[in-house]
Amino acid sequence: MIGRVLAARAALGLGVVLAWEVAARARDPLLYIPPSRVLPALARLLLLRSFPLLPEHVWLTLREILVAYALAVGVGLAVGAVLGLRPTLGRVYAPLLGALYAVPSVVWYPSLMLLFGLGAASKIAFGFLLGVYPVVLAVLAGVRQVSRELVTVARAFGAGPGRVFRTVMLPSMLSTLTGGLRAGLALTVVGVIVGEVLGSTAGLGYLITYAYGLLRTADYVALVLVTLAIVLAIDAAAGLAERRARRRWA
Amino acid sequence: MTIRALQAASVGAALLLWEGAARARLVDPLFVPAPTAVAAALGQVLGEALPALGRTVATAFVAYALSVGLGVGLGLVIGARRFLGDVLSPFLLAAYGLPKILVLPWIVLILGTGATPAVVYGTLHGLFPVLLLVIGGVRDVDRSLITTARAFGARPWQLYSRVILPAIVPAVLAAMRLGIVFALLGVLVVEMFAGVRGMGFELSAFANAFQAPELFALTLLVSAVAIAIGLVLDGLGERLNRWR
Amino acid sequence: MAGPHIVVDGVSKRFETSADAVPALSEVSLAVGRREFCTVIGPSGCGKSTLLAMIGGLVLPDAGQVRIDGQPVEGPDPRRVAMVFQDPALLPWRTALDNVAFGLELRGMSRPERRRIAGDLLGPLGLREFAERYPRELSGGMRQRVAIARALAIDSEIVLMDEPFGALDEQTRLLMGEWLLSIWTRARKTVVFVTHSLQEALLLSTRVVALTARPGRVKSVLEVPLPYPRDLESPGLASLRATLWGEIREESLKTMGR
Repeated sequence: MIGRVLAARAALGLGVVLAWEVAARARDPLLYIPPSRVLPALARLLLLRSFPLLPEHVWLTLREILVAYALAVGVGLAVGAVLGLRPTLGRVYAPLLGALYAVPSVVWYPSLMLLFGLGAASKIAFGFLLGVYPVVLAVLAGVRQVSRELVTVARAFGAGPGRVFRTVMLPSMLSTLTGGLRAGLALTVVGVIVGEVLGSTAGLGYLITYAYGLLRTADYVALVLVTLAIVLAIDAAAGLAERRARRRWA
Repeated sequence: MTIRALQAASVGAALLLWEGAARARLVDPLFVPAPTAVAAALGQVLGEALPALGRTVATAFVAYALSVGLGVGLGLVIGARRFLGDVLSPFLLAAYGLPKILVLPWIVLILGTGATPAVVYGTLHGLFPVLLLVIGGVRDVDRSLITTARAFGARPWQLYSRVILPAIVPAVLAAMRLGIVFALLGVLVVEMFAGVRGMGFELSAFANAFQAPELFALTLLVSAVAIAIGLVLDGLGERLNRWR
Repeated sequence: MAGPHIVVDGVSKRFETSADAVPALSEVSLAVGRREFCTVIGPSGCGKSTLLAMIGGLVLPDAGQVRIDGQPVEGPDPRRVAMVFQDPALLPWRTALDNVAFGLELRGMSRPERRRIAGDLLGPLGLREFAERYPRELSGGMRQRVAIARALAIDSEIVLMDEPFGALDEQTRLLMGEWLLSIWTRARKTVVFVTHSLQEALLLSTRVVALTARPGRVKSVLEVPLPYPRDLESPGLASLRATLWGEIREESLKTMGR
């Protein structure tokens, strides 16, 4: 059964690539970029022939993601804890945060560019803005999941606040929390890349708009594939960390 | 009610603090203009901004209608067939989670800079959350309801119209709530990226011209409209969800 | 009509799991007479629910056959068989009245007519004031009564009930049993009732069929020739209870030993 699913997935993927090749050749190969044109471009890109400075751009993007995510996690955990553990504050301010969630995040980006310029700071700010929200929500949801009976039992057995947090609260909110941290990372990555594509002077997103602007379409697709590989690698690493955290504390 | 009052008081206090900081030159008013300056700017640019806002919202609604229509239709088909869902799930999750902006240059290359790429890209953003929520909704329909309907002689079409469709109403409403945000987002991104006329274009133009009061005013305007649309959908949802 | 109403003829069923196939029922044979109240009892996992689902046509046997009025069962047939499950399985977006009318609606009956029939049923069930309430506004006992009313509404000759009171507390359960008896004596339907409660089986049925631990086989059939309403403390019922417990205990121990 599982084998049948995997086979069907592979067939579907292959079929799409083949159909794309055929359709692209029949039309304009410059605009529709058949896979056969992408592969050599990808090789040139990875051998640093087409963009010799690729590693620096990748490294910049990764640093932006790292800083933005660190900020999102720090601020998100703090805000979530304050709103979650002080129910009065939560009742007043959580709905305000909820209203902001209805706003398409990208409206903030021009303001961030104005405030922080075209450099890394505006990307970090946008990545932070997208990433912090799931973290706050996860903490709020996680705190709600902690069973009051369990906390009472732990207190009755003489556990102090620190011990209650480690032995009762953390395990019961862990899966929600790690889920939120992972979603926050994914959104931070999206935020940084969107920021770079919409306006920047360096980074992977900058290279993509640069290649597109020069109509170097095969190079553009190769860059997109490299970016996707990096995004998937980050998500896989996050998934690994999530599983380890669950095994360690749950 | 006191919660509302406290919320209003907090927002008011933040605005006052901001106004004070701007007047005392604690922040550079070139970058962070005072709320009063923003309000004044809103009055000035509103006439010019409203048509742009209208365009953006109209485009987003087309993308939204396509997202919900395609998402619910395909979601019903895929959700009811376990094998199909299993095969497609990694592709759908990838399409939902990966940064779609990476294909935006290509969409603009193929479709130009009119309303079409905005509709296509907005749909691309709106479709997958709707699709995934509807598939999940169909898969999560209480098995005992389906067994009961079968025992009482429901035909396949009756199973859909009397059990599955009503059961996924909450999932569809959640999807509709999410879909409008994503569709708006997609349209705004295209307008910013490709200079398609609309609110996204206006926002980037003011940012590039360093006109902070006008930029902030329009940002608040778009936010307010998005929140209002969300509230309308919430009200609609509550009416359809009376049985919960 | 002569002959039994329901015949279960050498029926077997296995369930495929990812690892192997678990036998649920093994060569079960059983005949239920017209207007009989037949209870199937057995340890958990013995396949009693599967047996009921087969009589209802929801599950088809791997071997053997189920016949109703001499005709083989090939799928659900609500004209002859109505079902009640442990989970009331009410449609949460419909009021009690529209839930009761569900089976009639599937038949294509017009809205006023089906609502009239459903409304007439709600009265005797003590649900008249609750007709326009949604399931979440009803207690567990009320929900189960709505589910039973839904089964009665389609007016079939056979009603199959799969632990219908299993999720209710003891007091409600006893009251629901009394209430069900009063319905059955009036409507004179053939009832097949699955339970794991000895008390319930003895208070309600004309006949008790005990199944063995998995895979389920018929262990014994016990006639209960006592008039209604029955008294659990009466000597006749006490001795039947002892006999039945002897049969069931052995099988339950097997289940626990696994």
